[in-house]
Amino acid sequence: MASSNTLTQQKKPERSLSPWQIARKKFIHNKLAMISTVFILIVTALSFAAPFLAPYLSPIPDVSRVNIGSMNIPPNSEHILGTDKSGRDVLTRLFYGGRISLVVGFSATLMVITLGTLVGSIAGFFGGLVDNILMRFTDFVLNFPFLVFVIVLNTILRDTIDGVSVLIIVIGVLSWGGVARLVRSKILAEKENEYVLAALSIGCSPMKVIRKHLLPNVMSTIIVQATLIFASMIVVESALSYLGFGVPQSVPSWGNMLSSANEPDVLQGKPWIWMPPALILTLTILSINFIGEGLKDALNPKSLR
Amino acid sequence: MTTRDFIQDRIDSLENRDVLLEVQNLKTYYPVTGGFFKRTVGHVKAVDDVSFTIRKGETLGLVGESGCGKSTTGRTILRLLKPTDGQILFEGKEITKISGSKLQKARRDFQMVFQDPYASLNPMQMVGDIIAEPILNYEKRNRKELEQEIKSLLTRVGLPEAAYYKYAHEFSGGQRQRIGIARALALNPKLIVADEPVSALDVSVQSQVLNLLKELQIEFDLTYLFIAHDLSVVKHMSDRIGVMYLGNLVEVASNRDLYKEPLHPYTQALISAIPEPNTAIKKERIVLEGDVPSPQNPPTGCPFHTRCPMAMEVCSKEKPPLKEVRPGHHVACVLY
Repeated sequence: MASSNTLTQQKKPERSLSPWQIARKKFIHNKLAMISTVFILIVTALSFAAPFLAPYLSPIPDVSRVNIGSMNIPPNSEHILGTDKSGRDVLTRLFYGGRISLVVGFSATLMVITLGTLVGSIAGFFGGLVDNILMRFTDFVLNFPFLVFVIVLNTILRDTIDGVSVLIIVIGVLSWGGVARLVRSKILAEKENEYVLAALSIGCSPMKVIRKHLLPNVMSTIIVQATLIFASMIVVESALSYLGFGVPQSVPSWGNMLSSANEPDVLQGKPWIWMPPALILTLTILSINFIGEGLKDALNPKSLR
Repeated sequence: MTTRDFIQDRIDSLENRDVLLEVQNLKTYYPVTGGFFKRTVGHVKAVDDVSFTIRKGETLGLVGESGCGKSTTGRTILRLLKPTDGQILFEGKEITKISGSKLQKARRDFQMVFQDPYASLNPMQMVGDIIAEPILNYEKRNRKELEQEIKSLLTRVGLPEAAYYKYAHEFSGGQRQRIGIARALALNPKLIVADEPVSALDVSVQSQVLNLLKELQIEFDLTYLFIAHDLSVVKHMSDRIGVMYLGNLVEVASNRDLYKEPLHPYTQALISAIPEPNTAIKKERIVLEGDVPSPQNPPTGCPFHTRCPMAMEVCSKEKPPLKEVRPGHHVACVLY
């Protein structure tokens, strides 16, 4: 594959950049977006390398173990970020917590985007009765009171598989409605172009028209939307965990770590317990939003043609 | 051989050829929905009872003003729209009711060249992929061979081979239309419906594209349904011409007969509107009164009677059928 590519490249140096390549070039030249990307990559790498990096090399069960001997120790040389009220090392939990927060955010986003794109594109392309049924169903899902449903479903289901997967599925199933509406409206506008008729007339099946012709042309919107959803999903996970309805308390996540700050004593007197997760959470969300902005500029259809 | 003899020859030879497409009483209505529950409250009768035939190798031009149903007719014939009523016979086979994969298979034989060269090419696809796609939809092919084949097709329509690796936005309108033509040709179809293929182009480029279409017709033995609103373009391209008004075919005649001796009052008005380059010739211009009636609520009887300078009482009562008044010359008017 690679060799054949270089061959044609030598033969045809004038091969044009694809719209995606143009977008990538633009994105790389966006400093803020690139810094944010690097930051996210570092956070991700550290989180996933947690078992090898954390000061207290320990598998997950040990991270959650209460250690009465070393409760509420301020940062020192042994515990760089101190320990929390149960005597657990904050830095270690920060690494492990990132893992959960990012995985939950990413998986929920993937689920939301997949479901939303599927429903939205089918509804938008076929229109009529199909559109009506799918969009009324979407309205129905959008009308669920999110918080109540997440809390109830999560509490009922949390013991069936494991807490984290249940949370991902519950959030995902409840939040695809917005994406479905967005994709539908984009497809409705895009399908008016004659290339859709052309695709049908050269013998493409309707599903192929959606997959090969319509989705690539609305993909830029979906990608930008995905980054914004990714950020908000991390917030949702943290908020739920902070309230005690998200990831089980025993599993470290940024939201769970923050929840210790609901004691006035910790909030006022022991900032080392909640400051690190709060800071890293804010920076992560900010970076993801900057990446989203960068992608929006890079994928702007006017700059692609 | 004079040009005239050549044309006569062509007409004679075409008359003996087989019918490729036969359209009988074709009707395409768009439903109009209204009210809270989106009930159908009426129909836009875009194509209302149109019948014609096209022989192999022939070009039938369809003219008419905007909104008269020319494009809808073309799209319905290719089954990109669902006909409300009537029959479309392609090589004697009924294609009016087929759908799904059967329709997909049948589409191989009839292709379309679209009006807007800017909207009809997918901006995310490489030109080579745009032209390869129809072939790959029907056949499994070796990528290398196919690439060669497409490059020669690109050269044939007047584009450089390097266009294969480019994207549609890098080309001008005329070049894009050539890409669209190459895509339509890729499957080696029998019928091509050209829906105003040059109306979006510069006048200087129009003739190049038209001549390309003519050359390709002879080379690939193509049959065209050529839709346009420009009378001189249709005259240049067509063997026979059909004139449409408000979803109806009002006159069908050979190119020569139609321009020399238009019979239907509407056609006469259209022909009189063609600008005459020679100022020495004084031409009488027939100016039509009023506007085209709404196709949602067409007039009873002859669709043209509300604007016809020769309208009689009978015109508002009965719709005159399209009948052959002279050899090969069909008119739908009570005068004949």
